[in-house]
Amino acid sequence: MDLIRFYVRKLFTVLKNEVIVLPSRVVVVVFFLFLLLLPVFTNNQYTLRIFTLTCIFAILAASWDLLSGFTGQINFGHALFFGVGAYAAAMSNLHVHLPPWASIPLGGLVAVLAGLIIGIPCLRLRGTYLALTTLAFPIILMGFVFAFPDLTGGELGISGIERIARSRVTNYYIVAGLMFGLCTIMWKITDSNTGIIFHAIREDELAVRASGVNTTRYKLLAFCLSGFFAGIAGGLYAHFMRIAGPSTLEVSMSFLVVIWAVFGGVATIYGPVGAVFILFPLLEFLRFWQEYRTLMFACVLIVILLYMPDGLFPWLRDKIETECPRCKIRNIATRTVCRVCSASLE
Amino acid sequence: MGEAFLEVMGLNKQFGGLKAVNDVNFSVAREEILGLIGPNGAGKTTLVRLITGILKADSGSILFKKREITGKKTWDIVNRGIACTFQNMRPFRRLPIIANVMVSCLSPRAMKRGEWVKRIEAKAMDALEFAGISDMALEDASTLSQGDLKRLEVARAIATEPELLILDEPFGGLSPAETELMAKSIHRLHKGGRFGRLHSEGPAMIIIVHKLQQLMKIADRIIVLNFGTIIADGTPVEIVNNSKVIEAYLGEGEI
Ligand SMILES: Nc1ncnc2c1ncn2[C@@H]1O[C@H](COP(=O)(O)OP(=O)(O)O)[C@@H](O)[C@H]1O
Ligand SMILES: [Mg+2]
Repeated sequence: MDLIRFYVRKLFTVLKNEVIVLPSRVVVVVFFLFLLLLPVFTNNQYTLRIFTLTCIFAILAASWDLLSGFTGQINFGHALFFGVGAYAAAMSNLHVHLPPWASIPLGGLVAVLAGLIIGIPCLRLRGTYLALTTLAFPIILMGFVFAFPDLTGGELGISGIERIARSRVTNYYIVAGLMFGLCTIMWKITDSNTGIIFHAIREDELAVRASGVNTTRYKLLAFCLSGFFAGIAGGLYAHFMRIAGPSTLEVSMSFLVVIWAVFGGVATIYGPVGAVFILFPLLEFLRFWQEYRTLMFACVLIVILLYMPDGLFPWLRDKIETECPRCKIRNIATRTVCRVCSASLE
Repeated sequence: MGEAFLEVMGLNKQFGGLKAVNDVNFSVAREEILGLIGPNGAGKTTLVRLITGILKADSGSILFKKREITGKKTWDIVNRGIACTFQNMRPFRRLPIIANVMVSCLSPRAMKRGEWVKRIEAKAMDALEFAGISDMALEDASTLSQGDLKRLEVARAIATEPELLILDEPFGGLSPAETELMAKSIHRLHKGGRFGRLHSEGPAMIIIVHKLQQLMKIADRIIVLNFGTIIADGTPVEIVNNSKVIEAYLGEGEI
């Protein structure tokens, strides 16, 4: 009993001292609770399905950010990883009868392989050339899909794949949990020493090499990590939709990922995740407005790009929080002195 | 002049029709500070870029500690113990200053040589302290002044714990007071003992400057480059009295 009381009190202390002090942390906690409690409030299959898909695409968008946002290796063919993961998971499930908990990580690993295969020729390229080359890879793979319909199911794709779990709610919880876990891992990676090198490569690759760091290895690492997470997203998608088709490799899929990331704010991880959670459900629920959907989408995007060039979420964050000029700790915007070092925030 | 530590032999580099580095031969000893001077466009920066592998030489060879380093990758050369600074500073502008230096501290060489009980951040802080900008460690590099950027370049270079440090115009754009400070830091670094656990000797140095005057006190030996070729090689006193050098600098006024 005492132990329980101790932990409850500790939880409250953490909430009071670490969470309440910073709006962005409150938002993360609220977001977590929203994900956790969503099935309690709605039994609607359609809503749950949309939010499951949202979680899957959030992983995908974050994985693009890990590669392109942080290291600056702009990838316009991110659908490749997604598609490879989806097809690998689908095939291993259908032909080898691997259960989802094995086929989905396998999809991630095959996508790592894809990352290596496209990463090596792409290492020599920069900027626009890199972007255009990466754009071509999923198209090439799509060609393979259509060329070998016996193996890949051609236009129809591979169907009849096992579900992740029996009930929709369990499905949702598994995917949402994975989304939270994987995005946290990605965020931790970008926050580590490796993340500093990724950042530095985006700023000035030559200077990183002159600092004695093998940038080739780190760029390949970025391709592989990004491929892994995107491949897992693809595997989840295949098992959730119970189909892996050529639509996972489409150019529009690649571009959607870029749009999400740019909308939310690149090189943040939380930005693309938040963007997916706004844009994807919005677009789905506006389905009855079919004709105007894309138009509105484009308008919103242009407004964001014009007025918030760093993306929506960094902009919002700067509105509600200020950085202490002395110790660089973030504070809620209403404070006048820093909560840690008491420096004036004006 | 002890045995050759860095040896450059018959080095050539052409940009289109322009011979930027033309049959250059020189060597640096382990405990030496070598000055490298020459008018604008003489090919000094190009020479540094050839040594550090940023540019590929057309012909010639470079030996470092008796090992061939011609054609090796830049990061490889840095990990063998040659560090350089950039004349036109190239900081990671959107990263905090300490993170700029941490990149160097994360190179295999620095990881292997440093005091391994120390955290990366602490090592980076050491280098910043040496360069005299540790008080701004958390600011973004974009907020630094010209002189402080030069210091950051030096901090980044010494964080890899080089045995040969090449400074490309470390005094460029600095005020006389800042120049004095920087020269003192360089001298202190050369005497060694401040950095690293394994070698406390302090690095050999090649210092590139525009004006000979700044080198008189600190350099052991000076070579003069003009139109890509070495026109003089000797002690500072020999160089100021060399007629070819005076001629090369004639158009530029003061040496
Ligand atoms: N990347 C390059 N491409 C073409 N020409 C270059 C390049 N880098 C330097 N040069 C030319 O080579 C010559 C030597 O330049 P540099 O080594 O920068 O001189 P210094 O550093 O001595 O002032 C200059 O004439 C310059 O215009
Ligand atoms: Mg120069």
